[in-house]
Amino acid sequence: MTMKVFVNDKPVQLIPGATVRHALVREGLLEALEQGKKVYDEWGNELGPDGALSEGVKIFLR
Amino acid sequence: MTLSLASDPMKRRTSAVFPLLFGLTLLFLSSLACRTHARSLDLRILHVNDFHGFAEAYKPLDSREPLGGLAYLAGRATALRREKSTLLLAAGDMIQGNNWANLSRGESVIEAMNAMRFDAMALGNHEFDFGKEELKKRITEAAFPVLGANVKGLDHLKPYVIKEAGGLRVGIIGIVTEETPVATHPRNVSGLEFLPAAETVEKRLRELKNRVDLIVVLSHIGHAADRALAERVKGIDLIVGGHSHTRIVKPVRIGDTLIVQAWEHGKAIGVLDLTIRDGKKVEYDGRLEEVKPDPGSEDREMLALVEKYRLKMDALLNIRIGETKTDLDGENVRKKETNLGNLVADILRQTSKADAAIINGGTIRTSIGRGEILLKDVYSVLPFDNYIVAIKLNGKAIAEALEHGVSGIEEGEGRFPQVAGLTFAYSRSAPKGSRIGEISIAGMPLNPEREYAVATNDFLAVGGDGYGSFAEAVKSSKTFSTVGGVLLADKVIYSDSGRWLRDVVVEYIREKGAIAPGTERRITERP
Repeated sequence: MTMKVFVNDKPVQLIPGATVRHALVREGLLEALEQGKKVYDEWGNELGPDGALSEGVKIFLR
Repeated sequence: MTLSLASDPMKRRTSAVFPLLFGLTLLFLSSLACRTHARSLDLRILHVNDFHGFAEAYKPLDSREPLGGLAYLAGRATALRREKSTLLLAAGDMIQGNNWANLSRGESVIEAMNAMRFDAMALGNHEFDFGKEELKKRITEAAFPVLGANVKGLDHLKPYVIKEAGGLRVGIIGIVTEETPVATHPRNVSGLEFLPAAETVEKRLRELKNRVDLIVVLSHIGHAADRALAERVKGIDLIVGGHSHTRIVKPVRIGDTLIVQAWEHGKAIGVLDLTIRDGKKVEYDGRLEEVKPDPGSEDREMLALVEKYRLKMDALLNIRIGETKTDLDGENVRKKETNLGNLVADILRQTSKADAAIINGGTIRTSIGRGEILLKDVYSVLPFDNYIVAIKLNGKAIAEALEHGVSGIEEGEGRFPQVAGLTFAYSRSAPKGSRIGEISIAGMPLNPEREYAVATNDFLAVGGDGYGSFAEAVKSSKTFSTVGGVLLADKVIYSDSGRWLRDVVVEYIREKGAIAPGTERRITERP
């Protein structure tokens, strides 16, 4: 099944088994990670780039 | 901080109706549970998750310093263990990922976990990636129980275990994501059923609640699902999580349930100290400690074990896997069809049984000279952790993908396509966006309206290198279908995140023994 997640509040449809890294690639944001930005979940916890995503998850790059 | 324990035996007694019966019951239970009532009981929970075989410290993308390293993780765990009664737990995805783990199919990680004296481990979805038979071997090798309460059909697993530590009986229930079947190859989970996590925990909790002082769910379902579980199922004292690689610095509390998770790759170890007094209250103090490769802090036994498997890994990488009768060209993959590009694209197409395959030339990083092929040669050609995905695209989307692929040829961009199952012509002198000429699939002109199954890698499938066609197709997926016993979206017909592309290529070369791929005018440049 595909899944919809939210990257900086923007909905993104991804392949099964997709990770935080896939979501960032989809939104062209992977380079920002390399430049020192970090990814957080909606509760403010940092996420690893290989973290699994699931339907409806919201992530933020800042 | 204090926390009422839902599994508190004192609390359960209040349900007694008749005073005499109540008094007798109280006396009886008090005698049974005297250990928990007589004094403060301290328990330390140490936890890791999503280790993925990262035995050696490395510098993460967003970090200025190296983190992790199994010897340093073990050294810190030993020091923390000396301070008080401890349970050391792993919340899944331990044995697959890094070459250090993959080249021994996870055996190295299990040996390390045995040496560290882990008390229990929950299965993660990636524990299935080497297949059921390998997983059974790893479970047999483990000196600790491997838990998977919601996995039906794998007898080697235990649903839960009761451990005694610090004068407490701790019930530990293991659960794994129900999405495991869509995250690994269907053959790895054939015959297995993944039951809903919440219902499973509720059932096992009923079995355990009168037998233990503390209920721990060792979970590989992700932090968002952990929170939902804590809200739905009452009576869980602690959820030790994994799967989402979440860095929870301080324990999250939902109702009477604490939730912790320790990031990923052994870059941190979670420490949770619990104090139980009079069987009624728990004080807790939790933290994440980053693991840094500071000289002198390593566990020497573990350092030797890491080195032992590193040497084995080096030896394996130097093993001959086959032979090539011709030079395999990885130098020109960003500007023209090459035989190495054809080989890799063919393997993608064949593995996924797709009509065609399109990969970005930039996936291929170097060449292999004529003669014997060593394992490390293929690993150098395909160093990225990519896996195969196949998506249904209509002819128009395929044309758009190829048009995008040839739009950066002057700059030597990695998006130049290497293909299988299709041919196309292009002209670099034409304006970008209108360079592609005729396209054929299976010898027939491309039909813009018809859908074709196109294999690629996960990077392109999510729009990497600017390939929007695949991502747009995924976005338009609406209905579902069952492929090989696995539920997939109608547009995504193959996805095997558990097997890196390089390992599929290695397997192909091993089977063939000798290869001699050529170029065959799949890509024609016109003036």
